[in-house]
Amino acid sequence: MTSRNTQRTVIIGVARSDAHAVANHLIAMRLREAGFLVVNLGVCTPLEEFAEALSAHPDAEAVLIGSLNGHAYEDLADLPALRAAGRLHCPVIVGGNLSVGSHKDGDERERLLRLGVDHILDDADQIPLLLDLLHAARVTPLTGV
Amino acid sequence: MSDLPELDLEPRVAAMLPPWTEIMQYIRKSPKRQTVEVLRAAAARGRPVVQPRCGVGGHGEMRTLLTTLEQRGRPDILTITIDSFTRLKQFRSAAQTLQRDPAGLNGYPLVTHGWRRGRELNELVDAPIEVRHGSPDPRELFAVALASGFTSFEGGGIDYNLPYSKDVPLARSLAAWAQVDRLCGVLAETGVIVDRELFGTLTAVLVPPSVSLAVCLLEARAASLAGVRCLSVAYPQGGEVHQDIAALRSIPVLARRYLPEHVEVFPVLHEFMGVFPRDPDVADALILYGGLTARLGGAAKVINKTNQEARGIPDAEANVAGIRTTALACTDLLDFVRVDEATVEEETYWLQREVAELVEPVLAAPDLSAAIVEAFTDGRLDIPFSASVHARSEVIPKRDSTGAIRYLGAGRLPFSRPTLRRNEQCLRVDRASLSGRLIDEIRSDINFFVQAETRSQAARLATRAAPTRSAVTGPGGAR
Repeated sequence: MTSRNTQRTVIIGVARSDAHAVANHLIAMRLREAGFLVVNLGVCTPLEEFAEALSAHPDAEAVLIGSLNGHAYEDLADLPALRAAGRLHCPVIVGGNLSVGSHKDGDERERLLRLGVDHILDDADQIPLLLDLLHAARVTPLTGV
Repeated sequence: MSDLPELDLEPRVAAMLPPWTEIMQYIRKSPKRQTVEVLRAAAARGRPVVQPRCGVGGHGEMRTLLTTLEQRGRPDILTITIDSFTRLKQFRSAAQTLQRDPAGLNGYPLVTHGWRRGRELNELVDAPIEVRHGSPDPRELFAVALASGFTSFEGGGIDYNLPYSKDVPLARSLAAWAQVDRLCGVLAETGVIVDRELFGTLTAVLVPPSVSLAVCLLEARAASLAGVRCLSVAYPQGGEVHQDIAALRSIPVLARRYLPEHVEVFPVLHEFMGVFPRDPDVADALILYGGLTARLGGAAKVINKTNQEARGIPDAEANVAGIRTTALACTDLLDFVRVDEATVEEETYWLQREVAELVEPVLAAPDLSAAIVEAFTDGRLDIPFSASVHARSEVIPKRDSTGAIRYLGAGRLPFSRPTLRRNEQCLRVDRASLSGRLIDEIRSDINFFVQAETRSQAARLATRAAPTRSAVTGPGGAR
């Protein structure tokens, strides 16, 4: 068991209009197994609640938002406003099934990145690796990131 | 203003209801068989009756659907599945959608249509009708169901909360359902027996059998204390036949152990509720397998699936086929099928032991409802993949090599050393190498029957590709 002071914290949840619970729980399990303190906000979580959770856990390394119903862009539309208000200042990672329908032309990724999403993942198994990279970058700041 | 005993209702809904004495009179003079009688006969015969799910928004469409299913599928019990707005008491949204686009509702908005139309549906078909929904607070819906003459009502304060709502406190849902159950008690005293079905299917994904049975037993105990006399305990087909049979056969045994003697309990099987095969033929095979499991397990009733399951809500045609395939498995056609009874016995021993370890500490507390709430808060009761924040979901289910569902992680469930060791032995997993693949492994457990479908398709392709085989089959033979 990692000691309380050094345990790494992440905030996870599913986007506002999305009620898919299974992947959310699997990711929580996977991260807990890897030693993280996981603050899981669960399904149907508005961006505002992610921001509140980050205020309550200011040491959280990242906010991970799952979106499987194709409404990621609409559900995250408040991100620029929250960031402008000085909130949700940690890396925001989005993953899942990002656009409606099976046709994915990369446009959806572009739109989410423009909104201020920091990272987009296609595979939940990449999450620990990305968190480790972000963690390392935080401990030893890289230039030009 | 409604004068239904025990039930606090929204005034707007209460005002539309007929007087209590009129409702009682309507139910008493109904010439229809009640659900409880159908279940008794099925249990006595040792063959499950079949019930489909069905619900559409428009009243005319619902009439057509029920009539079609009755005439062509001949199920013994019919269903009205309720739309999501009504489940969450958003009666105004239900009414608006009904007016604008009835097909946009994912069920029949019974409260909006009202009890007169409910009675019309009740009188339209011979089979008794059960109301199935998913409401954490079903009081208005139950009042309208009763006024419609429906005396079979699904759900409970745990099983219709945790899988369906994000943030309804358990104390609230348990209190709402206690009112429903107390009204059933009042009815029972006048000789009207309401069949109250408990939804042990929960989140429908890799639910460990002891979690399903423990939740139902606690709800059943609460319901019987409130006066309910007839309980159907539904268990979801997990897919490993010995484990499923052990679970179904345990229901009457556990009921005798933990429930008052005067309560009738009927085991019910929900045909596989997880990810369904896409190929209609493979889906039909799984549906047949479900019916067979129900019969071998001694279920009084089985809720059928359809071969359009992978594609969404089925049309009437597919539902009729699903009813008929399931019913076929419950006839004597497959009576020759035997399972390994020693394996069933071993499963039964461990399952009942797990259930005892889960429910007995909760049942020992003076206030059952408070004890349930506290146990979920502490994680001593838990369900996997909860939609609600009021269950911890620290339980990690995993299939063993036979396909049976075990505890890879039991979270804070109060299991004994031997119970944990047994799960460990069944799984025989190397935890260190598993941790990196955990998500994939559990995903593949969830897709158990889809993978079986893929394997069978691959095997057929391989057979076709083999030169000797294709020569035997001849051109076009294996299309």
